[in-house]
Amino acid sequence: MARNINTYTFLFVLLGIMLSSSIFSQPCKVEIVKNNQEYTLLKDGKPYYIKGAGAKSQFNLLANSGANSIRVWSTNNESYLDSAQKYNLTVALGLYVRPERSGMDYNDEYAVKGQIEQLKKEILKFKDHPALLVWGIGNEVDLRYSNFKVWETIEELAKFIKKVDPNHPSMTVIAGLDPSKVYMIKKHCPSIDILGLNVYGSIERASVNVRKFNWDKPYIVSEWGVNGPFEAKKTAWNAKIEPPNGFKANQRQRRYKQLIEKDTERCLGSYCFLWGQKQESTATWHGMFLSNGNPTEAVDVMHYCWKGEWPKNRAPSIKNIFLNDSSWRKSNTVLPNKTAELKLDYVTYNNNQIDIEYHLYPETFSKKIGGDKQQSPDEIPLKIIKKEKGKLTFLTPQKKGAYRIFAIVKNEKSQCSVANIPFLVK
Amino acid sequence: MRILFKITLVLFCISCNHMVDQSLYEPSNLGDNPISNFSFKNIFVDSQSSGVWGTKEHPCKQVMFSSKKNSIGKDHLYIKWNQTAECNYLGMGFPWGNYKSKNLAPILKDAAIELKIKVDSGSYTKIPVFFALVDYSGKQCMTKINYLGIEGGQIDTNWTKVILPLQTFNYAKKGVNMGNIKELKIEFQKKGAIHLDDIKVVQHKHNYRKYVESSTKTYTKHPFSIGVGKEHWWGINPEYSNNFSFISKDEFSSNFISKTKGHTKTSPETSEALAVTINSHKKQIWNNFGFAIHNWKRVDVSSIYRTSAVQFKIKADSIPKLSSTIRCYSGKTRAINKILSESNYSKIKEGHYNVCIPFKSFVNFKKMNWNTLKEIRFKILENSNFEIGDFKIIEFRGNPEKPNQWRGI
Repeated sequence: MARNINTYTFLFVLLGIMLSSSIFSQPCKVEIVKNNQEYTLLKDGKPYYIKGAGAKSQFNLLANSGANSIRVWSTNNESYLDSAQKYNLTVALGLYVRPERSGMDYNDEYAVKGQIEQLKKEILKFKDHPALLVWGIGNEVDLRYSNFKVWETIEELAKFIKKVDPNHPSMTVIAGLDPSKVYMIKKHCPSIDILGLNVYGSIERASVNVRKFNWDKPYIVSEWGVNGPFEAKKTAWNAKIEPPNGFKANQRQRRYKQLIEKDTERCLGSYCFLWGQKQESTATWHGMFLSNGNPTEAVDVMHYCWKGEWPKNRAPSIKNIFLNDSSWRKSNTVLPNKTAELKLDYVTYNNNQIDIEYHLYPETFSKKIGGDKQQSPDEIPLKIIKKEKGKLTFLTPQKKGAYRIFAIVKNEKSQCSVANIPFLVK
Repeated sequence: MRILFKITLVLFCISCNHMVDQSLYEPSNLGDNPISNFSFKNIFVDSQSSGVWGTKEHPCKQVMFSSKKNSIGKDHLYIKWNQTAECNYLGMGFPWGNYKSKNLAPILKDAAIELKIKVDSGSYTKIPVFFALVDYSGKQCMTKINYLGIEGGQIDTNWTKVILPLQTFNYAKKGVNMGNIKELKIEFQKKGAIHLDDIKVVQHKHNYRKYVESSTKTYTKHPFSIGVGKEHWWGINPEYSNNFSFISKDEFSSNFISKTKGHTKTSPETSEALAVTINSHKKQIWNNFGFAIHNWKRVDVSSIYRTSAVQFKIKADSIPKLSSTIRCYSGKTRAINKILSESNYSKIKEGHYNVCIPFKSFVNFKKMNWNTLKEIRFKILENSNFEIGDFKIIEFRGNPEKPNQWRGI
């Protein structure tokens, strides 16, 4: 009898554990509703406006800054979903559909079917994860593509999701808005619920163009930020000109408040790019963190955008940078092994202690596109002659060539602002 | 309870009778084996009987021979790699028959390279590894592991059979001589660790097609209509603006035909027609529209673009101020622009105009990729009321700066 009671107790406890785990690991029910002309994303029946970031780390700071979602580009790392859930963040989960530019041939039935079957397996694996918000089928597959058959793959996956996962809508993400892409997706991908827009400079007209180009479903600004290197002005020697962090901070803030938030009719939210660091022409172009993990003032801007107030401790902000009194917007040339002067205009906000670091790198002239992986250059020793407040006197490199000098203004909490200026030694 | 259990057991046993072994692979037809004459079937068996290069100590790659739980032979390969900035290329290779020339041409359609893979933990549907066949001129073609080629659909801690059909190597594109193959190489990317064994050539039928390219429409002669089908137009959205609205193309066309001929029915290939009404003095954002040249396909007019012009008709009290842009899908110059002048307009009758814009009159027309044309856009530059339609690409051999003086239209 006692043995029976023990058995029953064990079974009861086991059942309890199984039930509780199934309750807590249930997928959320995400749907899109349309009232008159207005689309709303509902998560478990409640309106859910996406305040998101393309992010693979720093989830704690992201959640504390007011974000509620992350976007990842593939299913390669399951831990992102678990980590996101830990911080109450949802995930726009990317299904990596190979773009044509990576060598994928969409006329090759074997390659196409193999990719589809492999991704179907991923869908089944992740569909019930409680952090999953929307599926992102493909990222910028339209970038420099020539074979429109890729849309058939996108549709087959979207259709499969509709069949096996009624809890989550599907989005496909395109590189900029164009009437031909909208047409292709409308025609070939009727199972797609949301258009994901990776828009940098083109964010300025995105909400108008969505309507002009006849997209009649909602959209998510799936990547946005400052103008990308591919849109930047170049120096005479083809080095891309990157604005200082202070300039970029204003651009981010205006774009969020005046463009993204304003479209309450069609836009379901956004994912800023990039809550992390990556090399894209420079080490600091899109990343809101430095390679050592220190946050830049872009993090404060997103805190303001998401929460409506600035964080208590703000990063300093570099507004302008000059080389020999010439602006960052110019093509600056110097002679080898000569004295040069770098000057910074920056705001300290409420910081008492400010440190400034300087770093010199050779220029990189990557031809990679669409956020494809780029190599970081190695740092070159900088011959410093004199360091004053916001001013550096240094010796230009002896070797002729293209260089870029970076200034990092940092407070005692390691919050930073960065600026750089490319120059040619000739 | 016991009865229920017995019934379940019986049902289970019965159902097992209906379980049929399924294989991803075609059953071998031993009687008609096209690779039976191929002498170099084994690529790797073990370190004693097969050559391997790329096993030297390397900062980003370790290639070891392990004798634990081999699939075949006395040992197998265990490879660990981590691609960093310092290690751009991580590879190894198999001399395969001591570098003798291998003629794979006769067996291309009937053979595959088969290998056995396992990992230390977890399960994977893809591994960042590329396989290359190298010919004696140094050219190489590649393939990678396809999900459909993995037996059971995943690579895990058990030896898993993986098939690389010879036809999946991109030899045609890379110009590799499959009749004179020197070796098999493996290239590792990103990070990983795999056990590898029993690499050999096997019989395999690859039942997959290569589709023909269908994203391009080629035109080699004039004239042809453009802007056919409302779904290929943009900028016309009555929910947000009344500046542009579609009108009947039959009615529009009948305006340009003498009344004695009466009302005509246009062909389905006639372009759409629009009514344009822009009266606002404010900065207008709904002031442009566009349409696909042909169903949003890539349009190739490379053989006729030098003698081509855009032609359309306008019904208006006064000539409207317009700019036109031709766009293409690829190339450095993706758009060329032209602001229309009076010389583009020919009066048909009062208030009715034929408009002609020779391709050669667009700035930078030589820089365009005329084999990837996409669309034509129009921008209305000032307040206007007019109707526009019947868009075509026509032959034009006159002076591009004075199109209204050419009598060939």
